[in-house]
Amino acid sequence: MPIVIAPKNSILRIVRIATDEQTKKHLEDLGITVNGEITVLSASGGTVVCKVKDGRIALDRSISTKIFVA
Amino acid sequence: MKRFALAGNPNCGKTTLFNSLTGSTAHVGNWPGVTVDKRDGVYKKTPEPVAIVDLPGIYSLSPYTPEEVIARNYILDEKPDCVINIVDATNLERNLYLTTQILEIDVPMVIALNMMDEVEKAGDKIDAELLSSRLGVPVVKISALKENGLKDLMETAYAASLKERVGTTVLEESSLAHLIGDVRIALKGQGVKGPLFHAIKLVENDSIEVEMHKETIPMIDEFKATHEDDVFGDDFEALVADARYKYISEYFAPALSKKKQEKFSMSRSDKADKVLTHKVWGIPIFLVILFAIFHLTFSEDFLYLGAIFKLPTLEDLGLLTEDADPLHYGVRLLACIYDGAVFSPGVIINNIWNNMLVGELFGRLGGLVEGSSMAPWAVGLINNGIFDGISSVLSFLPPILVLFLFFSILEDSGYMARIAFILDRMFRRFGLSGRAFMPMIMGFGCSVPAMINTRTLADDKERTATVRVIPFFSCGAKLPILTAVAGAIVAYFGVGNADVITFLMYLLGIVTAVVTVLLMRNTTLKGETPPFIMELPAYHAPQFKNLMAHLWDKTKHFVKKAFTIILASTIVIWFLTHFSFNWHFLEDEAINESILAGVSQLVQPIFTPLGFGSQLGQFGWVFVVAAVAGLIAKENVIATFATLASCLVAMANLNIGGLDIAAEEGIDAVQAMILATGISVPALIAFIAFNMTTIPCFAAVGTAKAELGDKKRFNGTLIFWITSSYAVAAMIYTIGSWWWTAFIWAAVAAAATALVVLKNKRAAKTVKAV
Repeated sequence: MPIVIAPKNSILRIVRIATDEQTKKHLEDLGITVNGEITVLSASGGTVVCKVKDGRIALDRSISTKIFVA
Repeated sequence: MKRFALAGNPNCGKTTLFNSLTGSTAHVGNWPGVTVDKRDGVYKKTPEPVAIVDLPGIYSLSPYTPEEVIARNYILDEKPDCVINIVDATNLERNLYLTTQILEIDVPMVIALNMMDEVEKAGDKIDAELLSSRLGVPVVKISALKENGLKDLMETAYAASLKERVGTTVLEESSLAHLIGDVRIALKGQGVKGPLFHAIKLVENDSIEVEMHKETIPMIDEFKATHEDDVFGDDFEALVADARYKYISEYFAPALSKKKQEKFSMSRSDKADKVLTHKVWGIPIFLVILFAIFHLTFSEDFLYLGAIFKLPTLEDLGLLTEDADPLHYGVRLLACIYDGAVFSPGVIINNIWNNMLVGELFGRLGGLVEGSSMAPWAVGLINNGIFDGISSVLSFLPPILVLFLFFSILEDSGYMARIAFILDRMFRRFGLSGRAFMPMIMGFGCSVPAMINTRTLADDKERTATVRVIPFFSCGAKLPILTAVAGAIVAYFGVGNADVITFLMYLLGIVTAVVTVLLMRNTTLKGETPPFIMELPAYHAPQFKNLMAHLWDKTKHFVKKAFTIILASTIVIWFLTHFSFNWHFLEDEAINESILAGVSQLVQPIFTPLGFGSQLGQFGWVFVVAAVAGLIAKENVIATFATLASCLVAMANLNIGGLDIAAEEGIDAVQAMILATGISVPALIAFIAFNMTTIPCFAAVGTAKAELGDKKRFNGTLIFWITSSYAVAAMIYTIGSWWWTAFIWAAVAAAATALVVLKNKRAAKTVKAV
C-alpha cells in the first residue's frame, strides 16, 4: 500500500517506488530506498511527514501516493 | 595556499563551521539550502594559512538542484587539497551515504562528526576510532556551534592534505563489484582520471556522467546485460543506493550506541510538529505568528492596551507645555514609550533611536552649519540635501532590524521549513511548490539574496516565476515608504491604523505575487510543478550569537548603502532641483523651474491613472521623482521626500503647523507633500503599491539578470514588473476613488481568466488529437 494510507508510528519496509527516475534518485539520496525502512509520523490530505533513518522528511501527495510499503 | 573544501548534507552545519573557522559572519539558518554558492575564507592556525571553501549542501554527488551542481563540480574539478566531510552525527547513517561517494574520489579526506554535543546530550555514544578504521579516513568529533574540536579537526585535515589518497569504495563486497571493476578498467584504458568514481557513477546512470562518456555507454550496457538481480532488475542506481545503505548499516552504524534501545520513539520536535504542521491549525497559527511580528514591530498600541483601558495621553496628564512639547527630559523619554497607549517594543526602540539619537544629532549638526558663514546654497545643500536625506534613511534602521530579528528567530528555530511544508498544498494550486516559499520570505529582508536562493528550486520555469515575484515581497528598504506614507495617512486624514495599513500592504504584495504567478504558470511559464520533498530539521532554540551576526550584517549593509549610493543620489537630486536648465542656482521657492521639475512634468501625465499624475497640478511631479529615484535604491524614495518637502514648504508658503520636515520617518515630509499637492488617500496607497511592485532597485535587477541567465527572459521580467505595478496601482486608485470601477476591473479579470482557460483547453485538445 502507498505510505499515504499506511499505519502511523510503526516501522515499514519499502517495496516499490513508482516515481520518475530523477525523483527516485533524489529520494534514494535522502534514504528512501527500496528495501529501506520508513515510519509515517503524520499524514493529512495527502502530505506526509515520515521518519527515515534519523531524519524527518516531508513529502507531498504526488510522492506519497507512489511510495509503496509492505 | 592549500584549499580545504567543506562538504556535507544540507543543514549539517557547514556554514556554522565555516564561520567559526574563518571568523566570517556568513548567513546561517536552520533549514536545508541556506548556502547556495561557494564561499571562501582563511584559517590561520595551521602551519600555513589554509583557504576554506564552504560549499552548498548536497545529499549525493549526483545533483538534483542547480546549487548541488556547484558543490559536485568543485570537489571533482577544482581538486581541493582536502575535503572536510561534515557529518551530522544525529543522523549518522543518512549522512554517511554522501561520505561513501566522496570516498570514491582520489582526494584526501577527513570526517568531521558534527553536533556531537546533541548526541551526548541524548546520552548516545559514537566510537570515532571504530568508524575511522572502517572508513579508512580520519574521523574527528566536533561541535561547530560550541567550537569544540576545531583545532584538532584542522590539524588532522592539514596532516591528511600532505598525503595523497586513492579512492576506495564500499561497493567492493557487493554483487556489483565485478561490473564496477570492468568499467573502471575500461575507463582507465581511456586515460580517465579518477576512474573508480566515474565508473560507479556510470553504473548508476548518473545523467552528467552519461553525457560526459557517451561513447563508452554501449560497452557499459553490454557489461550490465550480464548482471542479474532479482529485486531490482536492471535498475542499477537503486541497486547501488541499496548496496551503499546496506554497507553503512552493517559496518558503520554499529559505531553509534544509542541509550534508548527501542527502535521508534517520538522526539520533542515530532510533538511540536503535531501542532505546528496540523492539517487545520497549521496555517492559522502561522498567520497569527506573522501578525504578532508586525504588531510587535509597528504597533503604537501594544496589545491594544490603550484602546481597551482608555489610557490617558501625555496631554491629559498635563505633562506637555502649551506648544505640545514635553515639559522636561524625563517626559521626552516617557514619550518614547507611552502616549495614551503603550508602544510596542519595535516602536519604542524606533522612538529612542529617532527622537533621542538621530534627530538630536542631525538637529545639532544642522544648527552648526546654519550658524557658520557658508554660502546659502552650501547650507541648503548640506542641510536640506545631505542631512535630511541621510537622516531620513537612517531613521529606518530600527524597524528594519527589529523585523529582521523576528524573521531570523523563525529561521533559526527551524519553523521556516515547516511553513514551507504547510504552505505547499496552497502553493501547488498556484503552480509553485512549497520550496519556493523560502526565497520568497527571504525577499522580506532583501531581494538580492532571495533571488540567489531560488537555486534550490529544481524546475527552471518555477525558478523564473519565483525570481519575478520576489520583489513583491516587500523588502526592508521598501518599509520606509510604507511606514512614512501610512503614518502620514493616519496623521493627516485621521483614518485607519498604521500597523494595519502596513500589514495590509504587505498582504497586497503577497496577493499580487500569487495572482501573477498563477497567470504566468498558465500562460508563458507553463509546466509541471515539481514534487515537494524536504527535510524538516529538528527545532532548536535560536542562537544568540547567530542572531546578532545576522543583525550586524544587515546593519553594515544598510549603513554602507546610506552613505554611498543614497548619499550620492540625494546630492544629485538636490542639484537637479536647485538648478535651472541654464545652470542658474535656484532658491527653494523656485523649485518648479528646476531641471528635475521640467523633466518630471513631461512624464507626469503617464501616472495620471495611478492618481499621482496630472491631477495633482504643479507640484504633482514630486511623487514621480520619488518613484524614479527608487529605481536606484528604494531608500531613495523617502530620502527624496525629505529633500523635496523642504523646498515645497518654502515655495507654496505652506502653513505646516507643528510639522518638522526633517524629523521622524518622513511622516511629516509626506504630510507636507499632501498639503502641497492635495493628493487623495487612494492615490497615496496606489503610490505605495506602485513602488512595491515595480522594477526593484539596481542591485536586485542586476541579480535577476545574472540568475535568469537568458536575455529574453530578463527583458520579459522587466516588462512584467512595469505592467504589473502599473495595473495594480491603477486598480487601487480607480477603485478607491470610484468604487463602481471595481465591476469593470472584475469584468476584465474574468474575461482574461476565461481567455486563458479556453486557450489552454484548446491547446490540451490539440495535443490529444496529435
